[in-house]
Amino acid sequence: MGGEFIIKFTRGLFLLFLLYFSGYSWGGDKVAGEARYKKTCINCHGPAGKGAASYPKISGREISYVTSKLETYRDGIEIGPNSGLMIMMAKPLTDEEIANLAAYLKDAKYTN
Amino acid sequence: MKLVGNVKFISTVLASAMVLFGLHSNAIAGHHEGMDVPSIKSSVVMSGLENPWDMAFLPDGTMFYTEKCKGLSVRTTGGKVHALYGMKGSKGYKSSGKDLFCDGQAGMLGVVADRNFASNRTLYVYSTSNKYYGSGCKTNFEKCDGNIVMKFKVAKNLKSVSGRTDIVKDIQYKPFKSDQPFGGPGAHNGGRIRIGPGGYLWVGTGDRHRGICPQDNSLLCGVVLRIDGDGNAHPDNNPPAGSDKRIYTYGHRNVQGIDFRPSDGRAFTAEHGPWHNDEITALVNGGNGGWDPAQKRGGRSACPDEYCGYEPNQMEGMDPAVRAAYTPMSDTRFKDLMPPAWNNNGFSQGTGSAAFLKGSNWGIWEGRLTAGIMGIAFGDTPAGSRIDIYDIAADGLSIKTVTRMPLGFSKRFRGLVMGPDNALYTATDEGEIYKITAN
Repeated sequence: MGGEFIIKFTRGLFLLFLLYFSGYSWGGDKVAGEARYKKTCINCHGPAGKGAASYPKISGREISYVTSKLETYRDGIEIGPNSGLMIMMAKPLTDEEIANLAAYLKDAKYTN
Repeated sequence: MKLVGNVKFISTVLASAMVLFGLHSNAIAGHHEGMDVPSIKSSVVMSGLENPWDMAFLPDGTMFYTEKCKGLSVRTTGGKVHALYGMKGSKGYKSSGKDLFCDGQAGMLGVVADRNFASNRTLYVYSTSNKYYGSGCKTNFEKCDGNIVMKFKVAKNLKSVSGRTDIVKDIQYKPFKSDQPFGGPGAHNGGRIRIGPGGYLWVGTGDRHRGICPQDNSLLCGVVLRIDGDGNAHPDNNPPAGSDKRIYTYGHRNVQGIDFRPSDGRAFTAEHGPWHNDEITALVNGGNGGWDPAQKRGGRSACPDEYCGYEPNQMEGMDPAVRAAYTPMSDTRFKDLMPPAWNNNGFSQGTGSAAFLKGSNWGIWEGRLTAGIMGIAFGDTPAGSRIDIYDIAADGLSIKTVTRMPLGFSKRFRGLVMGPDNALYTATDEGEIYKITAN
């Protein structure tokens, strides 16, 4: 009986833990990511990464996708027609800034 | 003596009237100032659009608009929207052109109504099209007829267009990516169209990242056209010998704004500079904008993909003045150069569409030019997305002042046009069309 209670209690704790952190992006700070996004990225990709003109939408992407792209640009590797511009923009980014940007963009939404 | 008596009497009456109506001299001065510098307000007319690019108004307020990758629509005075003519793959349009497509900066761009729309129901639209590629467009280094100007008849109920006629079929287009910072297909695609004095159609085109384009007047790229409603050259166009006669001016980089000064009808263009020197220019028939990004000219050597437009050191930030010295926006080598009235203090911040303010409601700004700025903050240049207001000198060679439109917010202001209500309308890359009023 005591063992069953401990198992149920542990399950309950685990569920609470999942619920509490369901909106949290591991490894990145969304608030810091938004602040960094507004420093430069917003000028081309528009508010909340919605895309603007010939600059693509970058919101709603998995964290691994944005992280991989930014790391690739930061390494100076071309992956599209605007690579020259993106390489320049990504070069000064730190690992932490990339993680924060990816966390922010995953759920960023534009509302006028 | 009698005169003095009359003056005293009039002064007494005026003073009494001022007291009676609660006025005094400061209040009158304040009211005067209020009339001169208008109070600016803005409101969203439409939102949720996809890259709205340009608008055209009828006298009753009906608004046609383009979305770069979708097509042409109209918003009626009652607020209903009819999707009129779509591009390949667009959904929900009454009809469409399978040859029309978008890529990068290219797509369905400028729109303008004929001067006699009330009787002929004619609308003009600029778009990218693969219909006239022919044997060209196989590389970036050959002729590529990939932009057109279409003419439509608009139904009286505003629910459809018909009778598409392509009146210009050979505006140049960039079909492939190249080794440039913004090197994708469709780069520098021009696209603004406006009706000028006499009802002629003016068409702004871009250099499409081809170095020889702006100074080669057999090709329609980096030029401004002045044509009639059937696409024929204006009889008074005066480009250099051997040029395509449809050309009014040449030597441009990427004309995104054209409008005509209300006081004298003179044409002005707005252009986005290559990381230096955005420009507002008063046009001269047959004149040269002075942009020549060809390699091995002007003291330059070979450039990536034969285009020196971002050189030297095109993949790194550097002093804009050094770039300007290497490939100037307005190269003084040319004797027929049209010097710019404004060069944004040597900065490039994405200057695009342009419109003169019309109506006394604009106070001291009436008759001044506005331009939309869409900066990307490259190389420590402030982004500065805004609408500027320019007081241009009568000779068009300088500005007296430039003022930022006091909107209280920043957007990428892609399209500007005056409405029949003397309000300024602007399309933003964020997907809205705003109405800006002055009182």
